Amino acid sequence: MKHILFVAGICSLSLLWPATSAPSAVLNVPVAARIISFVQPTPAGVVPVAIVYQPGNGGSEAEAAEMERSLSRSNVVGRATLRPRRVAVANLGQLNGTRAAFVTSGLRGYQDDVAAAASAQSILTITSDASCVATSRCVVGITGGAKTQIVVSREAARRSRIRFGSAFLMLVREV
Amino acid sequence: MRRLGFTLAATCSALILSTASQAQIVDYAALGEAFGEPITTSVTGKPQRVSEAPASITIITSDEIAHSPARNVPDLLKAYAGVDVNRWTAGQSDVAVRGGVQTYNARLLVLVDGRQVYLDHYGMTNWNLLGVQLDEIQQIELVRGPASALFGFNAASGVVNIVTKDAGPQARIGARAEFGTRGYARVSVTSALPLAPGLGLRISGGHQEEDERAIPAALYQPPMTRKVLADQLNATLSVEAGTATSIEINGGANANRQLEFLPSQILTEQRFRNQTVGVLVNHDTGWGSITTRAYNNWLNADYGITTPTTDPYSAVADLRAKNRIFVGMGSVLVRLGAIGTMRVGTEYRNNQLRSDRLYSPSIGYQVAAASGMLDLHPAERVALTGALRVDHLWLEQGGTPLAPQIDQPSAYNRSITPLSFNAAASLQVGENGSLRVNGGRGLQLPSLIDFGLHVEIPAPDVPLPIYLVGDPRLDPVSVWSAETSYAHTFPSGLRLVSTLFYTRTDELIASPGGSVDVTIVFAPTPFAVTRFANVGAFSSYGIELSASGTITSRLNWSANYGLTRVREDIPANRDVAYYALFPRAATPLHRGNLTLDYAAGGWAGSVLAHLSSASRQSSFLPTTELISVVVPTSIGIDARVSRALGKNMRIYAAGENLTNARGVYGSPIPADRRLRVGVSATL
Repeated sequence: MKHILFVAGICSLSLLWPATSAPSAVLNVPVAARIISFVQPTPAGVVPVAIVYQPGNGGSEAEAAEMERSLSRSNVVGRATLRPRRVAVANLGQLNGTRAAFVTSGLRGYQDDVAAAASAQSILTITSDASCVATSRCVVGITGGAKTQIVVSREAARRSRIRFGSAFLMLVREV
Repeated sequence: MRRLGFTLAATCSALILSTASQAQIVDYAALGEAFGEPITTSVTGKPQRVSEAPASITIITSDEIAHSPARNVPDLLKAYAGVDVNRWTAGQSDVAVRGGVQTYNARLLVLVDGRQVYLDHYGMTNWNLLGVQLDEIQQIELVRGPASALFGFNAASGVVNIVTKDAGPQARIGARAEFGTRGYARVSVTSALPLAPGLGLRISGGHQEEDERAIPAALYQPPMTRKVLADQLNATLSVEAGTATSIEINGGANANRQLEFLPSQILTEQRFRNQTVGVLVNHDTGWGSITTRAYNNWLNADYGITTPTTDPYSAVADLRAKNRIFVGMGSVLVRLGAIGTMRVGTEYRNNQLRSDRLYSPSIGYQVAAASGMLDLHPAERVALTGALRVDHLWLEQGGTPLAPQIDQPSAYNRSITPLSFNAAASLQVGENGSLRVNGGRGLQLPSLIDFGLHVEIPAPDVPLPIYLVGDPRLDPVSVWSAETSYAHTFPSGLRLVSTLFYTRTDELIASPGGSVDVTIVFAPTPFAVTRFANVGAFSSYGIELSASGTITSRLNWSANYGLTRVREDIPANRDVAYYALFPRAATPLHRGNLTLDYAAGGWAGSVLAHLSSASRQSSFLPTTELISVVVPTSIGIDARVSRALGKNMRIYAAGENLTNARGVYGSPIPADRRLRVGVSATL
């Protein structure tokens, strides 16, 4: 009985303890970075990654800053070293040369432009904004919470000529 | 030369089979990082998140292995619900899933990277012959319930698949040295060496020795109890052939000497040596993946190596056997868009046992199998999974039958074609809950010894010679299983899982026990025969509860409890008086575990408290009488504390059974306390 009470006590403590996960609106950068390694052929060496944001949009700027901080802590994924650079949504020509773009949320009015630029240059777009993937403007969406969910837009991937390994695709939700 | 020929043929076959198409290169570590939980392929053959697998599965990660006080795979498994781990002797362990504890448990299939390490000659797993070091394990996957629809024979009540780490882009070398009480010493080295772009080599090796436990004088004592020895050397060459194809060629040799309880419950010392060579080819395509594999395992098993010819058990114990198994298999996984995934597979096995203590010098079988799996998602929150496999087995023997001949050679011209299946329905409840109902049928094949052994056994009071012989008419053991499970993860990270299960095991195979059920044969000199037999059935049912969470960022905990009731359905003339099998008495009613992990700065500590209620196990006495031994209720505590010395070195101290509880290993031989210290380093 003492053992049962002890376990029950520990369970109660865990329930009371606050969650430490990040808000779902902010892109989970380690997961996004890891997803880049599932693209076929697997990226290797220095891989330029754009952080697409909107200057003057407080939420977008804050998320971009958080992305930079996260990548400064760890930017090696598999055989790739990610080199981030900010790209303003009004100046998408700077996407040139990048292999992937982390798209901040709150850019709904610019998603068509981002999709067009990414498609033209075969850039993998990753965002925490579910609507960007649901409307096939972004390739990959990541949502947080108790369980990480990854959604892949077949149409956006096809348009950007992005191919993932089959093991990865069997684990995601394709829309 | 014959082995080389086999290897080349296997390699060519696998390469030919994989002519077109993209490696389902399942990078377990990378996928696990991306999805925030371990990934498995051991339930359906397709990659799945552990929380979405349509079966009861536990995955022990490399981090958990590194923190655990356990020093071998069975000790890692014992911390989880639904398994009984019995460490019969210092070297011999058995793992039973959901009841039916017995020595040489034949109903758990054990694999390393999908390659069988289960030994078919006797239907058992020698955990010291796995050929893998703990430091090179990415994860250990334990599936509770039948999995024969994916893996074939002997995944009857569960599967353990040990997945090793990929070579990776960086060179790494790790070394470990441990010393402890009871003559314990272990050294191991693991290395991963990128030789060139797309070419990697992994090599690992280890040596371990320790003293046997003290055997009570009342039990049968072998003439000598020497140290347990285990040596392993294994290598894997990984080749990336283009962007979509990966090839792995592996080989290894292992040796082991240990004291064991045989299925008959006789205690003898054995020497095992095994070798393996294999090739695995994965190819990824736009629509799925193709996997082909071929491997050959060789085993030399020498039983009763210290039993003198004057010993009453010598005729039974003294067995020299050579087992060779070739396996070739291929499977195709097809993504069906958002609807789901389909898998089809084929497999061929050729398994041969040679010994002068068999019906004839060679007993063996061939198996051809076809399997399919369909995983459907008709709605976003609903998953339906079905898998079916048919195996066709041809039994065969070769050479002149040993005298006295009991069966006609035609008795070995036999084939069987059993079916195995799995079915599951899963429903996501809210954002954080999942409900699953699943079941299936698994199969345990009679071992080659069960089919063909031929030895004279001691019977001082009987005026006729008595022979213990295998029986080619034995049926496979079938395991029927049904379970339902609910899992819930709270935002705090607390995860609760509860499972109700029912399992029925039919056509149990047992070895004759203390009293033997004999048949008199006049051929023309009279003699008596006793046989391995299908002796009856048992059912087990119960509940498994587990919970895990984080108290602080430095302190994690997990707890589990399992209640397993067993009902026997064994006829009176085949009960424990005649056959060494008693699943109800041998299975503890209650099992429970509590684990605490703490890490701060360079310090780390882990404690496991393990409760096991009383059971009865058996052993022979020197008078050739089989007795039942009470193993008392026990609480054992294992612990480990470690300290980092810089970035690449760690020292640690660990102890097993710190409470010195005699029943904690579930063996007729009492458990003892063992302590060790060690140092590990990585480059």
